[in-house]
Amino acid sequence: MLLCAGIAAAFAVPIYWMVSTSFRQPAEVFSLPIQWLPAHLGFGNYSSAWSQYDFTRFTINSMVVSGCVTAAQVLLASLAGFGLAKYRFFGRDVLLLAILATLMLPVEVIMVPLFTTVQGLGWINSYQGLIVPMIADAFGVFLMRQFMLRIPDDLIHAARLDGASELRIFFQIAMPLSWPAAATLAIFVWRETWDDFLWPFLVTSDLPHRTLPLGIALMQQNFTTDYGRVMALATLATIPPALVFFLFQRAFVRGIALTGLRG
Amino acid sequence: MRPIPGRGQRHELWGLVLVLPVLALLLAFRFWPMLQVLRLSLYRYDLLSPPRFIGLDNYTRLVHDPLFYQSLTATGYYVAGTCLPLWVLSLVLALVLDSMPFGKGFFRAAVFLPAIVPSVVLPILWRFLYHPYGLVNSLLNSVGLPPVSWLSDARTVIPSFIVTSEWRFIPLFMVIYLAGLQSIPDEYHEAARVDGASAVQRFFTITLPLLRPTIGVVVVTSVILTAKSLVLALLMTNGAPGGASRLLSLFVYQNAFIFLKLGYASAASVVLLAVLAIFTMLQLRFFRPLE
Repeated sequence: MLLCAGIAAAFAVPIYWMVSTSFRQPAEVFSLPIQWLPAHLGFGNYSSAWSQYDFTRFTINSMVVSGCVTAAQVLLASLAGFGLAKYRFFGRDVLLLAILATLMLPVEVIMVPLFTTVQGLGWINSYQGLIVPMIADAFGVFLMRQFMLRIPDDLIHAARLDGASELRIFFQIAMPLSWPAAATLAIFVWRETWDDFLWPFLVTSDLPHRTLPLGIALMQQNFTTDYGRVMALATLATIPPALVFFLFQRAFVRGIALTGLRG
Repeated sequence: MRPIPGRGQRHELWGLVLVLPVLALLLAFRFWPMLQVLRLSLYRYDLLSPPRFIGLDNYTRLVHDPLFYQSLTATGYYVAGTCLPLWVLSLVLALVLDSMPFGKGFFRAAVFLPAIVPSVVLPILWRFLYHPYGLVNSLLNSVGLPPVSWLSDARTVIPSFIVTSEWRFIPLFMVIYLAGLQSIPDEYHEAARVDGASAVQRFFTITLPLLRPTIGVVVVTSVILTAKSLVLALLMTNGAPGGASRLLSLFVYQNAFIFLKLGYASAASVVLLAVLAIFTMLQLRFFRPLE
């Protein structure tokens, strides 16, 4: 039991140090011997860090981008997953493998041509540049397809015999039966987009289109030694994903277990 | 599903229609860039003047570039140094957690925190912890050890990355192992216990063999995750000191966007792509998508 407490502490201490530093005055940050508790509990670092740049705007940008990517990806991945799970058309299995092969193409690998492609579209420093290239992802398609394989064929046949259109079958039969998978995917995509640093970093260079992670990096770069304020921002940025984790722990862990199947 | 005879295959084509939006986006933002990365690797391109075809020159230069080798070595060191302990430690932690009589939820939440921290916060936080007067050195000081210049010494910078990555990834892979452990039926362990097998015997004869698919997933995923890692190196050290922590993806980034050698950077990307391709194929074997 003591061992477990020790292990838990090792993982928790850096987080604690981040939060506690966010309350410290510059003189307290590096005091020796270690002062585990900050001298005061004031939010001065928070308010002054927040107003250093337009963090309200960065946050709104992050919300817009992650909201749009999540909604679009869940919808399109569900459509594609349904198509791949419940229809037989020529080349379907090859298509699935081709889609899955894009898992080997994360932004890190194709950043140069992805940047030039988006630049060619005139989408640098734009919301469409931040959003559109991130919508399609093989993982979501695969997740939805696996789940939708379990929808009984008879249900679909019956609806078709009753004259339901294919889109109606999707929205009124497939989606209602697949919401646990869709919810897991939504949480997961939201987290990943909210978290993403690399793509917004490549595709934006002006302040108005920056997302929250870029704002934090900017703050850290220009106010390197201002640890209290940087840690205040780091703490703030950790709160939304932490809230989502505690609220949707089961779906979140399931998402992580599933994303373990992903690079 | 079998098409209903006589009703034609027409509705089956709807499947293709449903896939089209995703397919179009993947073609534009994944496949097309992939072809471009291969093409650009044969060109000299600086974003300002039009690309010029130079054949395999970028690759020959890459082979003779000591900085590229330094980067490959650093990446190999980082990937192996992170993954090998990770596979064992996250399994050990999952076993500990799985066998806890109470407090599982609390323990899991406490341990899981590092996996939630935004990826931009991770390098910023750890740079602060590794600061010459930071928490790590203060802790060393309190037990009477001399300070270490973690991120500015070529010998300690990659080990520092590794410690940070263990902190980040152990909770993640622990959760994956836990899912695997919980899929092993209790009856197996009961039966073995009745037959007088010790805990160690049960681990090696039941748990480990049945965990094989999970282990496969963990191994492949962790290699992919660390091999492509960019943000950590970019924000923690930006390759310093003297390129000792310039991981391959950072090499690509710097050549492309700092030195504007997009062709050369693409050639280096192809190397990274080849590594990821191999491991993604392995990953797809664990998915077994067509079963």
